[in-house]
Parts: sequence; structure tokens; C-alpha cells
Amino acid sequence: MADTSSILPARRASAIPVPRARKDAIVLRVLTLAFTVFIIAYIAIPVLVTLAMSFNDASAIRFPIKVWSLKWYGDFFGSPQWVDALESSIIIALGTTAISTISGVLAAWAFERFTFAFKPLVYLLIMLPLFIPGVVLGLGVAMAFGNVSLLGFNVYGSRALVMLAHSLWAMPLVFMLMEATFRTVDHRIVEASYDLGGKPLRTFFEIVLPSVSTGIISSALFAFVVSLNEFVMALFLTTRDTQTLPVLMWLSLRSAGTPRLAVASVILAAAVFVSLSLIMVWYIRQLRKT
Amino acid sequence: MADMNALELDSVRRAYGGVVAVDNVSIDVKRGEFVTLLGPSGSGKTSTLRLIGGFERPDAGAIRINGVRIDHLPAYQRDTTTIFQSGALFPHKTVAENVAYGLRMRGITKADITPRVKQALEIVRLSGYDERYPAQLSGGQKQRVALARSMVVRPAILLFDEPLSALDLSLRLQLRAEIKRLHEEIGFSAIYVTHDQGEAMAMSSRVAVMRGGRIEQIDRPEKVFGEPANEFVYTFIGESCCLKAWIAAGAAADSDGDPIDLRLSNPLGEGAWRIYIRPSRMHLGRADMPNGLKARLDFTEFLGDVHRYHFKAAKLELFVDHPGAVAHKPGDLVDIGWQTADMIAYQ
Repeated sequence: MADTSSILPARRASAIPVPRARKDAIVLRVLTLAFTVFIIAYIAIPVLVTLAMSFNDASAIRFPIKVWSLKWYGDFFGSPQWVDALESSIIIALGTTAISTISGVLAAWAFERFTFAFKPLVYLLIMLPLFIPGVVLGLGVAMAFGNVSLLGFNVYGSRALVMLAHSLWAMPLVFMLMEATFRTVDHRIVEASYDLGGKPLRTFFEIVLPSVSTGIISSALFAFVVSLNEFVMALFLTTRDTQTLPVLMWLSLRSAGTPRLAVASVILAAAVFVSLSLIMVWYIRQLRKT
Repeated sequence: MADMNALELDSVRRAYGGVVAVDNVSIDVKRGEFVTLLGPSGSGKTSTLRLIGGFERPDAGAIRINGVRIDHLPAYQRDTTTIFQSGALFPHKTVAENVAYGLRMRGITKADITPRVKQALEIVRLSGYDERYPAQLSGGQKQRVALARSMVVRPAILLFDEPLSALDLSLRLQLRAEIKRLHEEIGFSAIYVTHDQGEAMAMSSRVAVMRGGRIEQIDRPEKVFGEPANEFVYTFIGESCCLKAWIAAGAAADSDGDPIDLRLSNPLGEGAWRIYIRPSRMHLGRADMPNGLKARLDFTEFLGDVHRYHFKAAKLELFVDHPGAVAHKPGDLVDIGWQTADMIAYQ
């Protein structure tokens, strides 16, 4: 009998009751799992519904979807108005990226490297727009530049003005990220560059910038995404010729809600996802390098 | 012109807040000379080097390179290059790009840069490492690249900022010999900062011993070792035993007044004395030498090359390095003898 019991341990183990502490652990695991699934579903459902709706053949946003087709994608890219809006969004996002990355990187370097009067106050001023509502910023810029024309160029309604307005948000973001990144720069390699005859400007471009390339790329992509997503300021500052995709979506939702709106959403979201995955890929590649 | 100094420091002074880091330092470095600044941490040796390199400006005094005053110029306009303790290689540039950097900054054409980089890497025995990145190199290789990068621009003076202190001992000895070989082959002028007296002794034409921002003594290594200018230099360079003795009426005692059996060829005057002798210059069981001391053996340490015998005489403690074992046991009273030239006494 002793022999059989030793070769059949599983049968004996099943007879032992699960202790109370383990039961609690199982309950906790199930609860956390359920909550995680709920959160993911909550985030994913609107996206998935929009994605599904973009393939609806019908002319109204309504379930159930009877016929699936790419009709509205064709419609979107066939309509000059929508393509123009997409183009406008991308141009403004690129412009915002350029403006805010250049100014944010330079400002962050100044803060890291030099001492000047009222530094904390200037820091606060740079960061301030990030905490001001878009409505307030948009209205402010609209009022300030409403009737301004420079050398015959109408500032109001121009893409340049929207780029500048978006930079109010994007630049502090770049500044914040880059300030943290510059702090990681090994000051000794900057000294080594000076020591070898590198003047400050060349040292900045040849030694400092390459060692913070990861930070620059990711903050530039953040600036791009911020501009692409922004709606309120763009609504206040654009005209029919320069309106961005979110603005056009808003306007067309007011008149007629067709699955074309879902297509526009999918395209906008895809642009953001692509940008964010680029950041991720870049980070992973940088991590592997070191 | 031929005998012009590569570098002259003339009463250079630098204070940080109220702390004087470099206090009235004057050094002349002749062409081809290898001068070491040796001192404990906080002695001002690195601050002095940074003043020469142009990373700091002096509060007073003048710095001249090849006779031209340069202390108002920033680092990038000075004909000096530094080998940093950390190497400070540019991590995103290859070995060849690192070495070429100084040449490019000096506006030298690409056609001239390539052979000079190749030659510099040959000199530091890193041919074939051109395309590697610093992260792919060992600590010793990094310092060789740093050396090549600094030497390739042929500066008026090379500045070494404790370049070997981050390496392990065998690598340190190997690179030390290589720097010495390069100095003999190429004949560059150099200032070398270190707290390692072995490095200072082995490599230098002259050693400047620093303390508290001042130069205590500057001379050839043998002179600094053999004829120290003062007590600090004596105790800082080489190991020494200190006998704190009280001399009264020709007899010696410790600080409690207990007598010590101390015999000196040149009697010292009355008062408190600090008598220094190198542990390797004392001999055991020798009552026949001009100077001597009877002391009890306390314990023995085996140090590899030598045995170190620790003695006590009343309250005094001393140790003697002796090759090989001796017959004495702890508690034995032993005669210790030394030559007059091997001792030095300060009151």
C-alpha cells in the first residue's frame, strides 16, 4: 500500500483542500484581470466601432452594417474638400513640429547651459500655455491677429498662424522633454570638444545634438501628434481654404453624418498611431544600441 | 627661440568662493619636458590643469604657451589638448572620427586628415579599430584612443588629467610604460596630473608636489625622493616611519616620558622631534650601524616581496621591511639600525 501511494501523488494532492489564502489570491487575480479587460474594451470599442463603420456601404451612420465596402474611402479621397483638409492638417502639423522643435530644443539648451536673470519666471512663462484652455488660446490668437496683414499677406486664416498657435502647446512639450534630455548629456564630452578646438556652435551641432537625437526625434513626433489632434484653436483660426481635418469633420457632422466621417476618423487615428509607433521603434533601436 | 618654454605659469591664482584652489603657482615647462603635478586630492593639481586647458580662468597671474599669453582665451582657442580621466570619447563617433575631430576643427583638409589619423592609431597600437564605437572598446583601449585624439593635433602641450586612475593595476602599469615610450619617441611637452607617486616617479622629467594649492617642491624625481624640501614632501612620497621622540639631556623618551633606547650619530637638540626613516632602509639585528633603536617585535605581515615587521619601543610604533623571514619571535628585543643619510628629523 505504501508503494502505490508514493507513485500516485496526484490523487492524494487532490484530496487536500485549497487553503483560504490561495482562494483569496485567485479572487484577486480574476478581479484585476476583469478590470483590465474592461479598461481595454472601453478604450478599444469606440475605435473598433469607428473602424467597422468606415467600411459601411450605407449612406448613414447606423447599425447593423448590411453591406461592407470601401465606398467611403473612395469617396473621401475623391473629394477635393476632404483631401485638402487632410493636406492642411499634415502641413500644419509639420510646420508646428519644425517651429516647436527648433525653438523648444534651443530654449531647453539655454536653460541647461546658461544662467540668466529671472530664469524661474521665464520657465513658468514657457510652460504656461500648456495649462491654458485651447478655447482661451484660440480666441486670444484670433483676437490678436484677426485683422492683421503683413506686407499684403493676410495673417488671419493662414496656416502659418495655426502653426504658431499649435506651437504654444507643442513647444512647451518639446521644451520639457528636451530639458530632461539635455541634463543627461555628459558634460565631459562637451569639454573634450572645446578642448580639441570645437567652437561652441560646432560643439552644439556635432557633439551635443547627436547625443540627444532620441529625445529630439520623440519630442518632434509628440509635437506632430499634438498639432494633428488639435481642434479648438484650428476651428477659431482657419478659413474654408485652410481648415484642418478635425475642423471639417466637426462642420460636416453638423450637416450630414455619413460614414465618410468614420473614414476621416480612421485616417486621423492611423496617422497618430503611426507616429507613436515610430517613437516606440526608435526607442527600442536606441536601447539595443547601448 | 629654441630654448623658449612650452608653457609658463606665472604666479597663477584661482579661488572658488573663499577657497583658494590654486595659490600663486609658477611652473615653467621646457619643450619636450614631462612635468607631473603630484598631490593628494584637493591639492589644486586638477584646478591648475583646468586653468591651463582653458576650462577656468585665473583670478591673477599669467599663463603663456610658447611665450604668448593665453589666459584670456577660451579652451577652443588654446593650443593644448587634454586626456581626461574618463577618456571623454564622443560616444556617437567611431574611433577614427574621434581621432579626426581635432584636426577637422583646425580646418585641416580631409586628404591630410586620413593619413594622420591612421598614423596616430598606429602609434597607440589600435590599427584596425577605426570603425569601432567607444562602447565596443575596453577601458584601456578607450584611453589609447583618447591619447591618439589628443596627440594627433600636435599641441604645444599635452595635458593629462589622471588618465590611468580608472584602470586596473596591470593595465595602468602597461599604459604608463607606453606613455613614457611615446614621450621618449615623440618628445611632446606634457603636464601630467596624478595622485599616484609611482606614476609620477616613473614618467616625469620633473615632479611638482602640491598641497593646498601651492607647489611644495618641484624637481627631478630622484631629488624629490632623496632630498625632500620639507616634511610634507617626505611623508607624501614613499612610505616612512615616524618616531615621535622627546629628547632631553641627550636621552630619548616617548610622549609619556618613558625612555627609548635610541642611538643617533648626530645628536638632536632638546625638544620634541619627528624622526622619519624609510621602512626599507632599516636593518634588523644590526647594532653596529651609526644609528640604532632597540624595540620589541609586535607582529609580522607578509606583503609578497617583503615581510613587514612591526615593532614597539615604549609608546613608539615603527615597521621595517625585510626580504625573507627572520628568526625573531614576537616579544623579542631587536636591534634596528640605519645609515644617517636615510633619516630625516623635523622639530
